[in-house]
This record gives sequence, structure tokens and C-alpha cells, in this order.
Amino acid sequence: MAMETTTYPSAVTETQAEQALIEISHVFKSFGDNKVLKDFSITLGKEENLVVLGKSGSGKSVLIKCIIGLLKPDKGTVKVFGDDVAQMDHQQLDRLRARVGFLFQSNALYDSMTVRENLEFSLRRHWLEVTEAEVEDMVKEALENVGLAYTAQMMPAELSGGMAKRIALARTMILKPEIILYDEPTSGLDPVTAREIDELIVKLQRKYHTSSIIISHDMKCVKKTADRVALLLNGQCYITGSYDELESAEDNNIKQFFE
Amino acid sequence: MATSTKTREFLNETGGIARFTGQLFSVTSKPPYEVREFLSQCYSIGYRSFSLIGLTGFIMGLVLTMQLRPSLVYYGVESKLPMMVGIAIVREIGPVITALIFAGKIGSSIGAELGSMKVTEQIDAMEVSGTNPYKYLVATRVLAATLMLPILTVLSDAIGLFGAYIGVNIKAVTSFRLFFTQIFQNLQYGDLTPAFIKTFLFGFAVGMVGCYKGYNSNKGTRGVGSSANSAVVLSSVIIFIIDLLVVQVTDLLGLN
Amino acid sequence: MNNQGENNIKLGVFVLTGLFVLILSFYLIGKNRNLFGSGFTLRVRFQNLNGLMEGGNVLYAGIQAGTVDEINIINDTTMEVTLLMDKKFKPYIRKNALAVIGTEGLMGEKVVNISAVNKKAALIENGDQLAVKRVIGTDEMLQTLSQTNNNFAVVSGALKTTVAKINDSKIWDVLNDSSTASNIRASLNNITKTTANAREMTRNLDQLITQTKRGKGAAGLLLSDTGFAADLKTTMVHVKATSTEVNRLAVQLNQVVQNVNADNGVLKLLNDTSAAANVRKSLENIQKGTDGFNQNMEALKHNFLLRGYFKKQEKLQKARQ
Repeated sequence: MAMETTTYPSAVTETQAEQALIEISHVFKSFGDNKVLKDFSITLGKEENLVVLGKSGSGKSVLIKCIIGLLKPDKGTVKVFGDDVAQMDHQQLDRLRARVGFLFQSNALYDSMTVRENLEFSLRRHWLEVTEAEVEDMVKEALENVGLAYTAQMMPAELSGGMAKRIALARTMILKPEIILYDEPTSGLDPVTAREIDELIVKLQRKYHTSSIIISHDMKCVKKTADRVALLLNGQCYITGSYDELESAEDNNIKQFFE
Repeated sequence: MATSTKTREFLNETGGIARFTGQLFSVTSKPPYEVREFLSQCYSIGYRSFSLIGLTGFIMGLVLTMQLRPSLVYYGVESKLPMMVGIAIVREIGPVITALIFAGKIGSSIGAELGSMKVTEQIDAMEVSGTNPYKYLVATRVLAATLMLPILTVLSDAIGLFGAYIGVNIKAVTSFRLFFTQIFQNLQYGDLTPAFIKTFLFGFAVGMVGCYKGYNSNKGTRGVGSSANSAVVLSSVIIFIIDLLVVQVTDLLGLN
Repeated sequence: MNNQGENNIKLGVFVLTGLFVLILSFYLIGKNRNLFGSGFTLRVRFQNLNGLMEGGNVLYAGIQAGTVDEINIINDTTMEVTLLMDKKFKPYIRKNALAVIGTEGLMGEKVVNISAVNKKAALIENGDQLAVKRVIGTDEMLQTLSQTNNNFAVVSGALKTTVAKINDSKIWDVLNDSSTASNIRASLNNITKTTANAREMTRNLDQLITQTKRGKGAAGLLLSDTGFAADLKTTMVHVKATSTEVNRLAVQLNQVVQNVNADNGVLKLLNDTSAAANVRKSLENIQKGTDGFNQNMEALKHNFLLRGYFKKQEKLQKARQ
């Protein structure tokens, strides 16, 4: 695989790293012969919305799955709240995952359960001692946040794409995580619905003061939600900067995303 | 080259299933136990397969009786018909046919369900939600299949024998009581016990293979379809292999 | 939640039904095997078990009364069988009851038959040893048959020589009495036929016996059934009686011939009307006897046991012609 060596430095600023919630350093990950991540490093600061931009198959989903411990990097460390994810046992991972929400690209709502059961499922952690009344309140709040309180008894198959995405978001938010990882939140949605989701993401981020990493190649979504944008190219963090900085860049590698 | 790749694939698959199975024992022994999911799986795997398995069992008994009859009449031992049908159903045909139907219904549905859950990231979502998906999805299903198939087989045998009773009465007349007395007079523990024990193994195999195929499904709807398909094929083959092994073992133990 | 509860109830009913059927079938098998409920044991010592196995049935007066629990070898000629009996038979079985190994049905499953004896005795107790009833086994029966056959052969041989003697003697030329001559001739023909029949019979029976001894053929199977065995036995008794009869006739005939010879001159014989009448009467007797024998033979042919064989022979003969 011929690859253009980049002249841009890895953009990890030390000041951010000190208070970083997520610190990814020199991560390698490959599937067979396919090297997806090659020495990737990035950090996520408090109450920051980081958008990771990249082409399909560039390894964006792999990156956030490494953060939540669904995948293990071949090399390098992923630290969340200061702890290395790869070193955690089941219990620690479980507790970590209560603090880090994950919105799946395909929503991943459990088909066999009602919306309500889907939401309750995240509360099943045995160490999480919640009463029935608390569960009731949490479900109600989560559904109201996305404006779909009436769907509680519906099955996922009965929901439209936009509704399903909102329910998935409600499920991700129900434990009020400090970090949320969004895997292409607007893919497969019509533009109008996609904008609603963008707004919802921003609204909830402000309401609960969460930090998030958003994976996307939908530029409208990126513009709306990003505090900072990182460009994933050839398995590395090509550049980071604000949306405006990147939009005005002259580099062809960057420009192709903004055209 | 081609054969060595195939061999590697085969060994890879075998090792995968073995590891997957080994995981079951390490995972299931630890709490928390997914009792509710287990019961709901028992309901859908056991209770909801009953009508299908009952129907096939009935037809099996009826047809078997009608097919056996001419030969027995030829040898003048028509009166041994209940005994022959009873032994055939209880020892072999009941367990195996039931297990095959079960593999067709449950193996494919587990394979497809877990396959689509895998493809739509529901399994990942479960893991992220703090639930061990292996425990929640696989262990409950395998356990439910292991425990439900024996019950289904017993009921299917009973219905099959009833079918046989009707089959006998199509061409001749025998009383219900005499028919069952004849059957049970000729049955022994050595007939019933190994047949009953092997149904647990059949159920375990169907559940395990279905889960393995679904859990390791490839992306896309084709992956789901092929995992459902290969779940049925593989579990059917395994059922026959288990049957073969069990008959050897019971023979060695002198139960035959 | 409501739905879940309902499902659980259905599941419960399903599981309980399955378990009920399972336990019921175990119980029903157990009932037949006498493993549930207290029974009592009896012991019987046999010389030959004829393939009786553990778990085999025990019948008292033809009713299922227990099972064979254990088989032990006591010494080279004694096998002890322990029977586990249903307790409800205890007040009926007496100490002098006799045990015998029999066959259940056509397919040869061995059972122990216990039968009562027509004499008063005390009731049986747990662990008692029963006496064994002597019965003629198939082998012994076949031995008798074989002996009968040998006798047959001897008789027919004697008959043959007699007939040959008569044939060789010049008596035909001298006997002008045509009716006597034709009578004698008819009788002799009959005797020849009978002899041939008898020989064929002997051969057939011989074959049958070898086959049976090897345990081949339908007859082998049938012989193990006591009902058929009895039938066969009766037949054999008939055959034996007939052969004795034939023997007697042959002896008579011999005497006649001797008489004829001893009188040194046919003229005398012919002049002596009483002698002639004697001869005639004897010949009539012979004819009757041989007719009877032929009838017996015919009957034997029609006996279902051998019918198949004779039919086959007939077919073969036809084919040869």
C-alpha cells in the first residue's frame, strides 16, 4: 500500500492532555492484513465535542470501539478517565461503560423487546441498585428528552428511522454518561431528520454537560456539533482543528471532505 | 493448497466451537443468572415448538405402523406390531426425528436471531449495556434447548405411540389398554434411559451450534441467512454423530 | 408483565406434562419389571437355561408373575435362577409348584413357567427353592423320532425282502386261481408302494431332523413351540403304530410264504381248500393293512408340518416328468 508520508505533526497538545477524559496514544489495530489504525493518537477534553472525520472503512468505528473496550488495540494505549481500557477486567469495564455511552450506527435496538424494555436493559447492571420507581423516572426522563414518551410500549420494528435513532440515543443517555461516543449518528437518515438529530445531540450535550466523540462524514452534522474536528487519514490523525480552520485549509486531503 | 486451506478452515471451525462451548461452562457457573431470559427462551423454544413436534410425532407413529404392518403380517407376527412400533419410536425414531425437526425450527431461528443481532450490533450494544451477551443470549438458549428437547421428545413419543395406536386400528381392532400393555411389557429401562439421555445431548448440540453460527455471523443479510442455514445443517449432522456415539456407548455399557 | 406471567404458566403446564409422561412411562416399565413395590424371591436350579436371560418373564399359570432377577452358576451342571415375584401371587403358589423354562411366543423369548401340582402343600415362602419339572426337550423328542425312523427302515427292508421272495417264487405259475393271483398282485403292488412311501417318509424325516437339529427351517421354529410339538408327537405315534402293524403283516406274509414253501408242492396247497382260503384271507388282511398304512401315509402327507415338503416333492417330480 503506497502511502504519502504526511508532513503534518500529530496534533496532541499537552495542555489538553492534562485534563483529558480520553487519551489515545500510538494505537495500532489491524484485521488480518488490513492495517486500520497505524500509530493513531488523540485526546478528548472535558465537555468537548470532538468530531472524527474520515472516509468509509478508514477505521473510525474501530477507534471508538477501542475506547469502549469492544475491541482491543494491537499496540498502544487507550486511557479513559486515566485508566487503560485494555487492562480492565469485566467489572471495571462494566463500570466504565456506565460512564461512557455508545450510540451505534445501526441503533442496535433489541428487536425482541419493547422500547421500554430496551431502555431498562441498560439499567440491569447488578451493582446498580435502583428501585422500580427510579427506573420508572429514568425511563420517563430519557424518553421525554428525545420527545418520544408515547412510544414506550412499541416494538423497535414499528419505529421509523428517525424515531429509532432517538430511542437509541435515549437508551445511550439513560445512565447519564459523562462521555458519549456517536457512531455516524445521521447516516441513513433523510436530511431533515438528520438535522433534528444534530440538534438533539447538541441540546443533550448542553443539558448534561457531556463530552463526546462523534464519528461522521456528514459535513452538516460536523458543522453543527463539532467543537474540534480530527481528520483520520491512512490510519493516523492527519490534523485537528476547528471546523472553520479545516474548511479554509488548502490541503487537498482536507479539502476533499469539505467539497 | 486448496485442501490445506480447507483443513485449516475445518480445524479453525472445530476449535472455535470447542472454545465457544468451553466458555459456556465458565460463564454459566457464575452469577448473575439470567433466569427471566431463560424462562422466556424455554417458552419460545419448548412450548412454542410443541405443536409442530406433536404433529410430526403423530404422523411418524401412524406412518411407521402402517409401513411395518405388511412385513409383520407376512411373517405372521402381526400381534408384535405394538412392540415393534413401541421400541422403534422410543429408542430411535422419536428422539432423532424430534431432534431433527427441533434443529430445523430452533437451530435456524437461533442462528438467524443471533446472526441478525450480531449484524445490527445488538450484541455489542448488550455488552456496552453491562450485560454479558454470551451469558444473556447463548447460555440461556443453550440451556433452554438442552432442557426442552427431552420434554418435547417424551411428549412426541407419547403422541407418536398414540398415532401408532390409531395406525393399528385402521386395519385391525385393538383396545387402547392392550396396545399400551403390549408396548410397556416389551420396553425396558435399557430402551428408555439411553434414548432419554441422548435427547439432552441433541438439545445441547442444536442450541450450541445455532448460537455459535449466529454469534459468529458475517456482516450483511447474507451472513444471517447462511448462519441460519449452516446452523441447521451442522446440527443435523451432529445429531446423527451423537446418535452413533450413544449407541456405541450404550452397547459398551451393555444396556442394549 | 401480564403476558410473561401467562407464558410462564403455559411453560409450566408444558414442562409438568412432559415430566408426568416421563415418570409414568418409567413407572409402567418398572411395574412390568417388578422394580417398584415389594415382591418376594424364589430360586430354581436348572441344568440348562436354554438362553433364559436376566429380566426374562416369569409366568404363573400363564400370568405374568415376576421377572428373572439374577442368574448364578453353581457348578458345571447347575444354574441357579433367582426370580423376583409379584407379591400378589404369594398366597397362591405352593411349595410343590414346578418350574420349567419355556418359550414365549413364536420368536423364542425364554420364560420361566411355574405351574401348580394337583396335590396339597404349604404355601411358598420368600427365598424358597422350587423343583424343576422334567419335560421332554426338543432334542430328546428328535431322538425318539430318529429311532422310529430306524425302525421304519428295518421294517421296510424286511417287507422288501419278503416281497422279493414272493416275486421270485414260482407260485405265480402254479396259482391258476386268477382272482387270488390278482389279489396277491394288488397286495404286492400296495406293499411296494407302501415301502416306497415309507422310505421316502424316512428320508424326509431324516432330513427334517437334521434341519431341525441345526435349528434351520420353519419346522425348527415350530418344534420349539410345545403346541406344535404335541401335534408332531401324535403324528409320530401314529406312524409308529402303523409301522408295527406293517411289521406284523410282513411277518404274517412271511409265514404264509413259508407255509407255501414248506408244504413242498403247490398242488397240495391248491387242493387244500382251507389253506387256499387261508392264503386268500391273509392276502386280504395284507391288503387291508397296507391300505390302512397308505391311508396313514396319506394323512401324514396332509399333516401341515410336512405338507410343504411333500408339495415341493410333487412339484419336483412333475418337473422331472
